[in-house]
Amino acid sequence: MAIPKGKKAEIMDEIKGNVSKTEAGTIGYIVGGGLKANLQARLTVPPQQIQEGAFVVVESGGWLFYGLVTDLQLGSTDPRFADEGGQARLSPQLAQLLHGQTLYTNIEIMSALMMEQGPEPGEPGYDAWFQQVMDEQIRPEPVKTVPQHHAEVRLARAGDIAEIFGKESKAGFFQIGDTLEGQHPVCINLDKLVQRSAGIFGATGSGKSFLARVILAGLINHGKTSVLIFDMHNEYGPDDTASDTGARVPGLKGKFPARVRMVGLGRGATIRGKQPDFNLEIAEADIMPEDILMLSQELNLRETTPTTLEALKASFQNNWFHAFKNMRAHAYVEDENGKPVPAPDSVEAWAIQAGVHSSAAEALHSKLRRLFNASYIVEEPAGNALQQMIDHLDHGQHIVLSFGTHESDLDYLFVSNLLTRRIRQVWERRTNDFRSGRQGAEEPRQLVIVVEEAHKLLNREMAAQTTFSTIAREMRKYYVTLLIIDQRPSQIYDEVMSQLGTRITGWLGDADDISAVLTGLAGRDALRGMLARLQPKEEVLMLGWGVPMPIVVHSRRYDDAFWEAVIGKGVRRSNAEILDELGF
Amino acid sequence: MNEIEFGRLLRSGTTGFVVGCRVNQLDAPSFGSLVRVPLEDGYQVYGVIYDIHIEDDGLVRQLITAEDLPEEVLQDNRENRNVPVEIGVMAVGYEKDSRVYHLLPPRPPLSLDSIYLCSPSEIVRFTGAGFGYFRHLLRDRDKPVEELLAAHLMAARSAHIAAENPGWFQAALEELTAALRDDYPRMMCFLGAAGEIDV
Repeated sequence: MAIPKGKKAEIMDEIKGNVSKTEAGTIGYIVGGGLKANLQARLTVPPQQIQEGAFVVVESGGWLFYGLVTDLQLGSTDPRFADEGGQARLSPQLAQLLHGQTLYTNIEIMSALMMEQGPEPGEPGYDAWFQQVMDEQIRPEPVKTVPQHHAEVRLARAGDIAEIFGKESKAGFFQIGDTLEGQHPVCINLDKLVQRSAGIFGATGSGKSFLARVILAGLINHGKTSVLIFDMHNEYGPDDTASDTGARVPGLKGKFPARVRMVGLGRGATIRGKQPDFNLEIAEADIMPEDILMLSQELNLRETTPTTLEALKASFQNNWFHAFKNMRAHAYVEDENGKPVPAPDSVEAWAIQAGVHSSAAEALHSKLRRLFNASYIVEEPAGNALQQMIDHLDHGQHIVLSFGTHESDLDYLFVSNLLTRRIRQVWERRTNDFRSGRQGAEEPRQLVIVVEEAHKLLNREMAAQTTFSTIAREMRKYYVTLLIIDQRPSQIYDEVMSQLGTRITGWLGDADDISAVLTGLAGRDALRGMLARLQPKEEVLMLGWGVPMPIVVHSRRYDDAFWEAVIGKGVRRSNAEILDELGF
Repeated sequence: MNEIEFGRLLRSGTTGFVVGCRVNQLDAPSFGSLVRVPLEDGYQVYGVIYDIHIEDDGLVRQLITAEDLPEEVLQDNRENRNVPVEIGVMAVGYEKDSRVYHLLPPRPPLSLDSIYLCSPSEIVRFTGAGFGYFRHLLRDRDKPVEELLAAHLMAARSAHIAAENPGWFQAALEELTAALRDDYPRMMCFLGAAGEIDV
């Protein structure tokens, strides 16, 4: 009999000295189910030993089937065995006989992947086979058949998990947590994660921000991708204090001082009392009518706004914002007859001249006052901060844009959208240059834009107007993807949600939010219950295109041990690499 | 070997047979006992006693109604009566060329063949060859199967304990609960009976 591949990986682990202490034996056998419905297995161990979300392996006919436990059901051959509690009348020895025979537990397994079992170590062909697995020529494939009746079911071993989710010793793989049973490390492929837009979801207090910090630390440490973080609440860049425990939470800037640049919004802005690396000011000439239209909801703009903006652009070109800002509202002068007429520098005078309804123009002028008063919008910025940001991102640095005192939704929406539009234009131009083979054009660096409170930018009403939804839809065409962090996924436009490659979600209570996270995925019903029963702050469900199969993980703690493992990893990794070179 | 013969065959068939014996032979066999009928060389049929039956006759009917029955008359009628005690045996297997089969015997024993009670070592030998013979015990629903099983288990258990095989009883219980798991009334009836066995 060929030994399961998991076993081989274990042997490998043993050689590397990280063999698991809790090895899993058989927990049951297959009794029914199918491809469309989930598989059913009879448990041969007490149900308390298995939890929902457990990662299990079924061995059958030379194949390994990998799946998740999605349900546990108590059953009896006759309901009377369960109903009548006859066991009280029987001796414990006889009552025990009923368990397992007439009273039993079935588990439901959502099988996701299958992989052929290879030859045994020492058998001819083993070495060649093993090399193929290492080179990913033999890979798990989507499940297309079912295991036989009575096929053995066991909990996954460290080797099984490594075969499916990869090992941290391999470049680009980053440990995101451990399995619920056995605490085997589960990794995520960072290169795949950034290929499409991704989302981190979870209700308030479910550990979203910590998880985001863990992933961002992984991305920054990996060094293949540049990251731009719109840090609305100053959570990611500077050191922070946890809202619940009061413990000190190290920021990314503190841990990667040379790789992370802090940018403050507005002249003289400080971030938690510290000077940012540089400040960002927005030139009035950079503001386009579409940047204003995007704020329709926030500013309560009327339907006439687009016409008025168009007329402004036509009258003043790129200088429209400055010109409009300097117009006076309700300003009148007397004509030669002593009759009040609109002053030449008034909104009304321009409206009459441009053929725009004057009250519409005045209403817009008054509604834009909040932007006119924004201190970070200036006529002549002190430096070209935008270009500076792009240069840093180009050089593999990462930007944390801190909003400082400008914490209102208006500032966040306006600045993040405007910047993203500009950055995407640059990346689009470079991509086109690169693709068309223009001389000297280099492949643009992969960029991930991290957006918090994403539903404000990607809701149904806004999705059509913001650059973010364009980025989410076109995937990695222009080397820019999003990392969305949000607590209300149901508020995000479904078309955007369905484009998210990887979704990592903590506990969600709202049924709509749960449905939204599962949009466009197979096995939704089975995953729905699992999502509602995740332990807040501890467990997350990973699913979507970027992970081989859905899995519940006990997420990695964001603590000193984490940082030690991430930053001090160079030394340890080299050992693993040496072993890799030796063929293990 | 100390062989206990306790009667001869009255009637016989593939699935079972009826043995006749005198009342003074009746202290040997009991409900649930394993018995054997040796036939030609190397072939013997095994059975389990499921019924012990005492028929009346005309004299007993008369004596029942008589007053002040003397003790000698009572004893005489019991020991020297013409009607034999009838013992029903269910066929559960056979032995041929030193191999035990838990199948129905190819040929039933003939009338007036002698019948013997199995010794503990014979019980261990037959019941230790697997639990296939439970099929025959469970088949006939007109008989008090659960009681029969309990009586048989009790006898076989002490034989196995003496043979230093205490695990047999638990294995037999598990086999029977598996066989009865779809039948609630019979299962509860069996467990009730098995509960009487002094564990």
